[in-house]
Amino acid sequence: MRLRAALVAALVVAAPSDPHRFALTSTGRVKGASGVVRLVPASSPFGVAVTADGHTTYDLTLTVAGLPDPPSLGAFTAYIAWIATPDLGSVERLGAIAQGRPVAGRTSWNKFVIVVTAEASTRAEKRRGPSLLVGRSPSATMQSFADHPFYNTGAPPF
Amino acid sequence: MLAVLVPFVSRAAPLLAQHAAMHGGSRVDSLIAPSARSIVPMIERPMIPGLVGARPAITPFVAGVGVPLASLAAARPRRVIDAADGDTVDLDARLVRRSVAGRVFTAYAFDGGVTGPLIRMRQGATLFVRFSNHIDLPSTIHWHGVRLDNASDGAPGLTQAAVAPGASVVYKVHAPDAGIFWYHDHVREDVALPLGLAGNLRVESARADYYSGANAEEVLMIGDILLDAHGPIAFGTEAANFALMGRVGNVLLVNGAPSWELRAGAGDVIRFLITNASSARTFNLSFISRMGDAPIKLVAADVGRFEREVMVPSVVIGPAQRYVAEVRFPRAGDYYLANRVQAVDHFLGEFIAATDTVGRVRVSTRRRGIDHGAAFRTLRSDSALETELARFRPHFDRAPDHELALTTEIAGLPIPVMQFLSIDTAFRAPIEWTDGMSDMNWLATTREVRWILRDQATGEENMDIQWRIGRGDVVKIRLFNDPRSLHPMSHPIHIHGQRFLVLARDGVRNDNLAWKDTEIVPVGSTVDILVDASNPGRWMLHCHIAEHLQAGMMMPFTVGAR
Repeated sequence: MRLRAALVAALVVAAPSDPHRFALTSTGRVKGASGVVRLVPASSPFGVAVTADGHTTYDLTLTVAGLPDPPSLGAFTAYIAWIATPDLGSVERLGAIAQGRPVAGRTSWNKFVIVVTAEASTRAEKRRGPSLLVGRSPSATMQSFADHPFYNTGAPPF
Repeated sequence: MLAVLVPFVSRAAPLLAQHAAMHGGSRVDSLIAPSARSIVPMIERPMIPGLVGARPAITPFVAGVGVPLASLAAARPRRVIDAADGDTVDLDARLVRRSVAGRVFTAYAFDGGVTGPLIRMRQGATLFVRFSNHIDLPSTIHWHGVRLDNASDGAPGLTQAAVAPGASVVYKVHAPDAGIFWYHDHVREDVALPLGLAGNLRVESARADYYSGANAEEVLMIGDILLDAHGPIAFGTEAANFALMGRVGNVLLVNGAPSWELRAGAGDVIRFLITNASSARTFNLSFISRMGDAPIKLVAADVGRFEREVMVPSVVIGPAQRYVAEVRFPRAGDYYLANRVQAVDHFLGEFIAATDTVGRVRVSTRRRGIDHGAAFRTLRSDSALETELARFRPHFDRAPDHELALTTEIAGLPIPVMQFLSIDTAFRAPIEWTDGMSDMNWLATTREVRWILRDQATGEENMDIQWRIGRGDVVKIRLFNDPRSLHPMSHPIHIHGQRFLVLARDGVRNDNLAWKDTEIVPVGSTVDILVDASNPGRWMLHCHIAEHLQAGMMMPFTVGAR
């Protein structure tokens, strides 16, 4: 019985405790940088916002801290946040990161990853620079990201 | 770690098949294991490792044991009772012979009909209902959402003793609010709801223009039932099974039948009054067709109209909730009433699109009567509600009077179930639209699973909580669905005898209010409600997932003299 209780406690602790928040962690290119994504269910008269085909819709807010000036990393002038499906089949720009100002967006993807890259322009519409911060939605914790390109510090896959 | 994961991988293929079959329409029969009318797994696939041969630790309960099925009258379709002020209606609960998806089995019915009679009455009227219990369980009738006299609320052990088989009682049903309400058993809801003890109460507004014009009105009671090859999967005698998720059916029902059909003309506007009478399932309903989805205008919730009508892509409706929606069918052709959700396979870590069609609207080229298209395109505001809400607005931003945490305690289930539950909670879905863990759910009874309402101020739980509220008080309650348990789940929280506003969800102000009696609290969410505590008496607050109610997730409160 004691063993069972310990096992259960360990398993509960291991699971993410807040389904409305996840962290962005450094890919290793910059030290001390971090980010937090806050998920709030989008407004709905039903209390739960879903699309007609059942996808839950969230408003998300990304806040980052600890990133150095972009030029210190190379030929970059901006940091851009992107949201993508885990298979990278769909990638969308969330917005440029201004110092101290959160980036807001909305998504109805079942699972997603968010990545912050260094780019040559604040108006970059395609991700070309290196990924610096990356995090995945709570729903994406059900799968392994061991070989995911966003979690590598090498060249971007697209 | 690898050794732990291997069994999950081996389950993958059967689970995919299960999802595809359970949610791909009506193809369920081939995946339902034959049974001997006792508790058996409902899905034809291996049990999870370590659980082969396991059974819920309860005595199976099947309705009408000892009563020959052939001796029972067949359940008849719902009938309509138009009641005048002061009328008395006889309503009995009885055994019937019911046929669903090729199975013929003993079920329950109010007045011999599935669903129970649609009772129509005027706002402000009073109806007397003489209820006789002729089923094999004690029963009561709860008049869900109706702010009636406390003595007629039908809460066993609180407002009355349960009505024993063979006994009867009279309810005085006074209807101060307009809209769609429902009545149902409140003793063993986990048994009675799937077996048919539910009906609607339609209260006509005193205002002629309460709803916009429509070509027709349809009252839809949505539900589901969990069947094996012979009939309903057995219930539990001493305790309820399916205590984790609640009993999620594998056959969806509209007005008690697995199919439903309506005829309309092109351009018609139909007013749907929808009730979710399922034990545990939340639906996401829309009308789909090759021509595109039919536009839906949301008009009213449980106990009244919204401040503003809004167009919505679908109607999301949790257990016990009601919504009034107007739907325009612009073109001739077939529109299908569909439940479209994203099911989660926790073992594969995947979402699976699941669509069930549960009915059809056959739209001909000929319109029936008046063209209500212009009214449909107009999104009205409810000025009467705005005026009424002025009295409540000063309370919107103050601190909560009470805070409840929603959580669970699980003990005594086999260790493999505990292990698999931990995988389940790798992702805590805000709402579980389907039962992705049916065998574990089936094994879990209300002996091992305790669902909890916890008063954050006192630490008291469930029936130990004793709130005293002054009559006429406006009470702000914060509901927090704690995700840090072994099996968090969304809860449709229902308050008896009063009405409330949903002020905010997860800190975001709700800018389109409506009076409600049941609200979904998703996993991890915080919902602030404002209760108009104007109806005196001893009342219940509880989760309306029938098995969670059986597992203790209920509390009393008293509205009385200050």
